[in-house]
Amino acid sequence: MKWIKLKKQSEDDIQIYGRIDDDGLMRVTCVEAHPELQDWLAEGNTPEEAE
Amino acid sequence: MAITFNADTTNGAVITSDTSGEIELQANGVTKAKVTANGLQDANGNSLRGGSFRNLLINGDFNVWQRGTSFSPTSALYGADRFQSLAGGGFNIDSTVTQSTDVPTGQGFKYSLDIAVDTVQTPTGSNNGGFGQFCETQNFYHLAWGTSNAKSLTLSFWVKSNKTGIYVCQFKQNESGTEYYILKEYTINTADTWEKKIITIDGNTSQSFDVSANGDGFRMMWWLASGPDDYATKDVWIAGSGYRATSNQVNLWDNAANYWRITGTQLEVGSGASDFEFLPYDVQLQRCQRYYYKIASLTSQGLGCVGFVYNSQVGVMTTTFPVQMRIRPTALETTGTASDYSIRYLATITVSNTPPSFYTASLQAADVQFYVPSTTLTAGQACMSRAATDSAYLAWSAEL
Repeated sequence: MKWIKLKKQSEDDIQIYGRIDDDGLMRVTCVEAHPELQDWLAEGNTPEEAE
Repeated sequence: MAITFNADTTNGAVITSDTSGEIELQANGVTKAKVTANGLQDANGNSLRGGSFRNLLINGDFNVWQRGTSFSPTSALYGADRFQSLAGGGFNIDSTVTQSTDVPTGQGFKYSLDIAVDTVQTPTGSNNGGFGQFCETQNFYHLAWGTSNAKSLTLSFWVKSNKTGIYVCQFKQNESGTEYYILKEYTINTADTWEKKIITIDGNTSQSFDVSANGDGFRMMWWLASGPDDYATKDVWIAGSGYRATSNQVNLWDNAANYWRITGTQLEVGSGASDFEFLPYDVQLQRCQRYYYKIASLTSQGLGCVGFVYNSQVGVMTTTFPVQMRIRPTALETTGTASDYSIRYLATITVSNTPPSFYTASLQAADVQFYVPSTTLTAGQACMSRAATDSAYLAWSAEL
């Protein structure tokens, strides 16, 4: 599982993140304050930019 | 015996008395109600205390399952609405949690929750495995805890397991200035048989509910396994945190064929258990939707969101929550499969190339971005969300 940064539609948009599960599906999208993302970041992980 | 008031069909009013300190109301010699030190009771000793919404647990009869009806937790995971499998200290709670129609006969329940062990696990250190509900602080203010008037609580529930022995319930005052808990043991006496358990605790006179009104103020937890580092004393309030059980706690995970089922969970003020309070389904669903809201739809049907075309490939759409959420949701859950979703724009329905994503949310509503590959959308026009398959859903969580 990893988190990625989704592409913004405009510069003013809030950054949205997506959780990519081990099967490759993105089932959860969130803002940075989401506790599950915060836990992942606290483990020293860094989200990749979406392709 | 007691002081009895008997409405007798032959002799009229018949009054007898003793020094038991109790009163019985009889109709033709048959006891109908009693007044005891625990309050007004029926002939079987069940509390007759009335009042709607007396159950401090939500979905106590496991009637609402928005997330689905089968789950495979290895760590903490929500299943039936408001209830979750619990794991502490990294314990692998490898199990299958399902909605079961095995219920105690004649009690009015439709479902129970079944936890079936999948692989043998042995708790060590601070490992814990269990089940519970975390409750919002403001629903407990009326208990007057932290004062000399602290009210007692009574937990009642039906339980069934192939594994007999002693289990532990942990009542935890959570996120308080000082956290407190009290442990109570109950015994499953007979294998594969529904048994009703009633547990009463004294109110905590030492600590009020002083965390945020919508915070994680109280936890009701049923333990199914515990490591030795988390053993503690039963029957007394203890200042402390964490998941705790007694050294008598059985290990449900000692055999892959073990199961544990529960229904009719009720936590109420007072020192007696009243009959389970059945709420209408719509009322119970709305109470659950404060914490988790799921829009599920069928192929070619709407998904509850309408909005505008942002650009040629994106529609931004809004949905209103049916009840105010506990907190602003910070995430959106979907199937993760883009082709489950579509956008309707004018007469055209276009299947998505990316799953919908979170955009914004308040306590009352949320915005969602839908994506399509074509460049046929025109910015500024109206559009609406559609399910492209029966699997499609959108869900927001505001759980504790």
